[in-house]
Amino acid sequence: MDTLINVAHGFGVALAPVNLLYCFIGVFIGTLVGVLPGIGPISAMSLLLPVTLSGTPESGIIMMAGIYYGSMYGGSTTSILVNIPGEAASVVTCIDGHQMAKQGRAGPALGISAFGSFIAGTFALIALMLVAPKLASVAIAFGPAEYFSLMVLGLVVLTFLTQGSMAKALLMACIGVVLGLIGLDSITAQPRLTFGRMELIDGIGLVPVVMGLFGVAEVLLNTEQVIKRDIINAKITHLLPSREDWKASAGPMGRGTILGFFLGILPGGGAVVASFASYALEKRLSKTPERFGNGAIEGVAGPEAANNAAAGGAFIPLMTLGIPPNVVMALLLGAFVIHGLQPGPLMITQNPGLFWGIVASMYIGNVMLLVLNLPMIGMWVQLLKLPYNILFPLIILFTIIGVYCSSNNVFDVYVMIAFGVIGYFMRKLGYEPAPLVLAFVLGPMMENNLRKSLILSQGDLSTFVTRPISAACLVLAVVLLIGPLLPALRRKRELVALDEGA
Amino acid sequence: MSDSSNVKFRLNNSELWGGLIGLALGIFVIRSGLKLKLGTINDPGSGYVLFYTGILMCVFAVTIIVAAVTEGGPTFGSRWKDARWTKPVIVIACLTAFAFALDPLGFLLSSIPLMILLMRLIDPVRWELAIPVSLIVPTGMWWLLKHVLGIQLPSGMFGIG
Repeated sequence: MDTLINVAHGFGVALAPVNLLYCFIGVFIGTLVGVLPGIGPISAMSLLLPVTLSGTPESGIIMMAGIYYGSMYGGSTTSILVNIPGEAASVVTCIDGHQMAKQGRAGPALGISAFGSFIAGTFALIALMLVAPKLASVAIAFGPAEYFSLMVLGLVVLTFLTQGSMAKALLMACIGVVLGLIGLDSITAQPRLTFGRMELIDGIGLVPVVMGLFGVAEVLLNTEQVIKRDIINAKITHLLPSREDWKASAGPMGRGTILGFFLGILPGGGAVVASFASYALEKRLSKTPERFGNGAIEGVAGPEAANNAAAGGAFIPLMTLGIPPNVVMALLLGAFVIHGLQPGPLMITQNPGLFWGIVASMYIGNVMLLVLNLPMIGMWVQLLKLPYNILFPLIILFTIIGVYCSSNNVFDVYVMIAFGVIGYFMRKLGYEPAPLVLAFVLGPMMENNLRKSLILSQGDLSTFVTRPISAACLVLAVVLLIGPLLPALRRKRELVALDEGA
Repeated sequence: MSDSSNVKFRLNNSELWGGLIGLALGIFVIRSGLKLKLGTINDPGSGYVLFYTGILMCVFAVTIIVAAVTEGGPTFGSRWKDARWTKPVIVIACLTAFAFALDPLGFLLSSIPLMILLMRLIDPVRWELAIPVSLIVPTGMWWLLKHVLGIQLPSGMFGIG
């Protein structure tokens, strides 16, 4: 009953005209960046982070959340019609979605993708509503040791799932921690790694780092390739899937939803891992696995449901523990912090309007996305024809403006350009930026919790292993760290390894 | 990876250089941690976490170096094989020039030439399209930010913008 009252309260917040407008802007921009290859939700959210300052916290967070789950919808359009993933979570959709489009079934592929996303997104929201308050009440008992170990686990999971060498991913995570520690020490107020520059006293901003590593670096990488687009030009019809399509997709959608939701909650996990895992699961369960890769609708329905359910699930660790499980949630945490809010176990009770308002807005956003992605599909197809040689300079200009607006400081533009160049060379040499960014956000929190736990335990390191939750997280982290040494686990890692940067 | 692009002991091994840069950074972080004072285990100082993170960086960097030496790694050339490497170099040069010009010249006088250069140098856009887009988009953004959102972009020494 309490939940229903809270949801009603949330709808009261979400249905306020200004919040409806922000929700629409969020899902529209989300679909836009999902459709456009080369710019993903991370770049768009960091670009619009300063804009959230102009409204209430509810409006800002509703818009940012809309960009994230909106991009999950939009990404599939590009995957199906162009065979280029609009964003990383839609990589798998290319495999069967584009084959379906080539066989003249672009309509059902787009339709099942949108309906699957809607169903999974709605399920994830209901689960978020039921799970988050319960988890928040448990999380109140978390001490610094638990927080520290959970963050270590999150970072290790992300490095485990990152493409290529795990040593490289761990090195990136360490560099991220060091970058996060630049500025005044929160306990002793001693400046660290500032090189005498006043601009560094408050540390490096998240926005210039993310925009550099994901926005500018992505453009630099794209300019060195000749991008060929194989756009399906035929008129898109039959967007409503047939009874047979529904029958074939129901199972994959259901399994993808549940799998995606739980993988979304996992620290370090997220939509990309969920879509890969769902595809692998469906192929394994199928009686005719040879159809996968040749236009099997199950290969579209499962991963699309999984990535949307994961997008919903990812809100749980942020809202209940205050720990972002992935880079996108780290940016959302940034939006909370800009408004002087600290997500965590007390947020749901202290600020119910904000929490339930965001949840309710996601229901509304999902309905808006269904309308945006099916009847308006023609508009997105036209957008796909925008030439890259115009798009890339525009992206660079918007990143510069976005970074400058986030701090009103030219120094941040320099930082962004520097990280853009560093990010380009990192990618060329096989170093993924995702662990660096997550560690950059978690680094100061990890340090704070580590030092607090050592002070509280009077230097007794066993505090991390005598507390059950902390011990469980650390054991899991150790298993994942030594796991790649075992051939069976290494093969599994290679199967699900992801590129969060796309 | 072909034999010609996968080298072990040669200096052209890109993995080796990646590891060496990581090692140098790790040593720098350890030194910075030591300078900031480690404190004690029951009262860790400002350099405590930096110091141990630096040690971890060195461990991971050495792992990368060992793997590069024993298993080999791609050459720098193979990393850029079939890539139009001049294009990112041009974009980086344009962005660097822009970074130097932004403060003294202001947003409008630096971003309009940046847009024209990027449009003409990445994959040339026709002049009749490049010029209007380069003029309208930065000016439109400047107007929107200044008059609608109340955000002042740098106006430079000429006070334009």
